[in-house]
Amino acid sequence: MRALPLLLVALVACGDSAAGGSREAIIARWKEKGLTPSAMTAAKVDVGKDCQSGTVDKLDVLLCVYPTDAEAKAAEDAGLAWVGDTTGMAQAKGSVLIVVADRKKSDPSGRTINQMMK
Amino acid sequence: MRSIYLVPLVLAAAVAGTAVAGKGSKQVRYHGIHPVPKSEGGGLCYIEGPHVHIFAANKLEYRDHRGANYFVGDPVAYGYDGPKHTYKGHHPIHVHAVIGDRDEDIEYCYLDGPHYHSFAPPSGPDFEVRGGVNFYVGTPAPVYLEARPALVKVNAVYTPLTYERPVVTVEPPSAWIGVRAGFAPAAVVVEGRPAAVVVPGRVRAGVDVVVPAPSLEVNIGVGAGVFIDGHHHHGKHKKWRKRGRGRGRW
Repeated sequence: MRALPLLLVALVACGDSAAGGSREAIIARWKEKGLTPSAMTAAKVDVGKDCQSGTVDKLDVLLCVYPTDAEAKAAEDAGLAWVGDTTGMAQAKGSVLIVVADRKKSDPSGRTINQMMK
Repeated sequence: MRSIYLVPLVLAAAVAGTAVAGKGSKQVRYHGIHPVPKSEGGGLCYIEGPHVHIFAANKLEYRDHRGANYFVGDPVAYGYDGPKHTYKGHHPIHVHAVIGDRDEDIEYCYLDGPHYHSFAPPSGPDFEVRGGVNFYVGTPAPVYLEARPALVKVNAVYTPLTYERPVVTVEPPSAWIGVRAGFAPAAVVVEGRPAAVVVPGRVRAGVDVVVPAPSLEVNIGVGAGVFIDGHHHHGKHKKWRKRGRGRGRW
């Protein structure tokens, strides 16, 4: 019985870690691919409550974390609204929604966006 | 328990998301690689997943895939430099397999003559490979013939394009859709054509002329209206099952 609360605490801790870690893991993967993500800062947007924005190379990026994968998926359209009238993409990867917008037209072939989303 | 409470949140987020996305009225959805109009810089967009641009897709080179434009033309004509596969003539494209969707979506490519795609055909007896060239030898769904008069006009898009087209030097199989009764377009064959030599230089607009001197072979695609029975056909069919060859899905 004593183990049960400990297990619950451990699960909650893992959940928090996984949620934050997912975003960090995504940024780490981008770095591994040779991309140059900027520091990400908290962003107040309509896409989600826990969002951070920054840039990867010259692309505008928004990373939002949701409690569940389904909520991240459901927020894809909201992500596209954040993209606005330019080339972009919004795709849920687990509980993280990745939104990329090429507002400076720096990636005309889309290769960088494609690399980021793979 | 947690998920029960989250259901309304998810639904609300979905509804809100759709509504917000509606504001981006200039956005056009695409899925997979596709050419970029010259007015937008030209070349090719290499984004493989679902994405948006603010330029429209044309009706001949794209098919609708769940609200997104899916390119069914020859990407090499626009400078594509990735892995490619050679086809000759018309054939189905299993879009769901190419992009990894569960819902079946089969579209048809109406490019005459040799051309490239970035994807290989599905495995199975519907395609026969000769000399590295994929020939479609299956039986298409009825919509293929229904939409052909309108969509074969895609060849006119490729006629003026200059690029390195595939060279096919093998004789097509007898079951190839390009020569099979009931599917082959009207053809004129002048006697004296040597066997086993086909060297088309270009993908042409409904007219594929093969001239290994001193012979002449002319295949003429038939063009007609776009609307059939009041419905706009896109060369798409879903859940259609081929009969008579003992197989279910194709």
